[in-house]
Amino acid sequence: METIGRFLFFCLLGFAFLSLLLSGGASRFLAERYAVTAVLRADVPPAEAAGLARKVAALPPVRSAAFRDPEAAWKEFLRAYPGLDALRGADGNPMPGYIEIRFRPDRLTGSDVDVVTSALRTVPLVERILAGEEWLPRLLRAGRLASRVAWGIFGAFLAGFFVVGRLQERARAVALAGDFAFLAERGVPAGRLAFLRAAAAAVSGLLLAAAGTAAGGGALFLSLRNVPFLEGVIGPPSDLLLPRTVAAAVLFSCGAALLSAAASLLGSRAARTGRK
Amino acid sequence: MIEGFRLGVFSRGTTLWDGLDFAFGDAAAWFVAGAPSSGKSLLLSILRGERKPDAGDVLVSGESLYRGNAALARAWRASCGHVPEQTIADARPTVGDLFRRSALAGGGVRESERKDRTDRLLGMVGLPGALGWRIAELSISERVRACLAAELLRGPKVLFCDGVVAGAGNPWREMLWGLFRALAREGNTVVLAERTIPERWALAAGDAEPVGPFRVYRLPVPGGGMKGEPG
Repeated sequence: METIGRFLFFCLLGFAFLSLLLSGGASRFLAERYAVTAVLRADVPPAEAAGLARKVAALPPVRSAAFRDPEAAWKEFLRAYPGLDALRGADGNPMPGYIEIRFRPDRLTGSDVDVVTSALRTVPLVERILAGEEWLPRLLRAGRLASRVAWGIFGAFLAGFFVVGRLQERARAVALAGDFAFLAERGVPAGRLAFLRAAAAAVSGLLLAAAGTAAGGGALFLSLRNVPFLEGVIGPPSDLLLPRTVAAAVLFSCGAALLSAAASLLGSRAARTGRK
Repeated sequence: MIEGFRLGVFSRGTTLWDGLDFAFGDAAAWFVAGAPSSGKSLLLSILRGERKPDAGDVLVSGESLYRGNAALARAWRASCGHVPEQTIADARPTVGDLFRRSALAGGGVRESERKDRTDRLLGMVGLPGALGWRIAELSISERVRACLAAELLRGPKVLFCDGVVAGAGNPWREMLWGLFRALAREGNTVVLAERTIPERWALAAGDAEPVGPFRVYRLPVPGGGMKGEPG
């Protein structure tokens, strides 16, 4: 029962860990919704505008830079505000072309936004830049706070696992006190017993954490494929198979193994000294 | 050979005994008889390497247990079997748990081999099919015999038994007589500590060697030569 319980716990924890890892906390959610708009002058040829968009897309913090010509901008305007066709009078399309710039989730910071907007301000083709400088710092601060809270909750669950594990190991050591006394009487050092138990706990912790994380990752993969909203918050399912994601999952499993070993050692010591 | 030189014990504010010399030769069954509270259990714990004597030393095959290599002392304790007088304080385990512990202490025994030997040992001590019985359900005699069988599982070269003959009871004396002598014939060393020696055993063993408050008998081994030396 204990093993099943730990496996299910690691499934949940693995699901949460991978979700937090891929989403960067609130970073991906914000990056999906925030964009810098570079409004172009009316007389900019489409080819030049597309070329500028390609150059902007090559900047390190930028995930995508898409050029919308005036016609596409007009259609978007009508979708957002239907019934305003009459604004397109004799003078033609009042909407200018623009470049919509979206940032990589891990590069959505004040300094990176400044880098991009500063670069755009020097370009003569750009008439105006809409970057939300007034509210962007508050938004980023809220995002960082949300990330810290999310990781803090995750850490609290991990700490809870350690505490519960230590209590379980202590109870097990108390139950096995007769065995330990028997073996100690026959020359098996108590330290060696504790070390062997901790090693066994580390191995079982590693296996359970790896299996649980894999199962949690599988559940996350299916969730991302079937719930489109989640993909906007956490990321595409394919990100789960990236080498850095797999490496993080392995490190997480190793960390769980170390926690299990530490819980075993401390639980055994508490049982020997009679502390709770 | 297990040798004790000038052994002394200071217990409960008084000297229990001092300046005792013992020599338990290999491949023999030794019987140490002593009055109640004479320090028989203490003697066995000193010879096993569990408790350091307050005076003197114990040598095993010429190596000091208490003044030599600590690893040697641990190895010695691991190689010894021990059936204590107070058999088991915790009555929750089963007879099977005793054998599991013994197998663990012996560095692990293959499951199939353990099962086979367990069945034979339990049959030998009169507890066939007792593997699943809880210790709490056993009588004193049954507990003693179960502990003895569990210690024999890992084939210790030296077996220390404290109060086993008295604890097992009269009906099992013949079995124990044959068992201990058979172990000695196979090259093992058995050291028994009891309050009194059964009369028939005393007659067979002959004169005892007085050592302090104890009398040390050497039980005859069938078909064996006279190895080792009396105390």
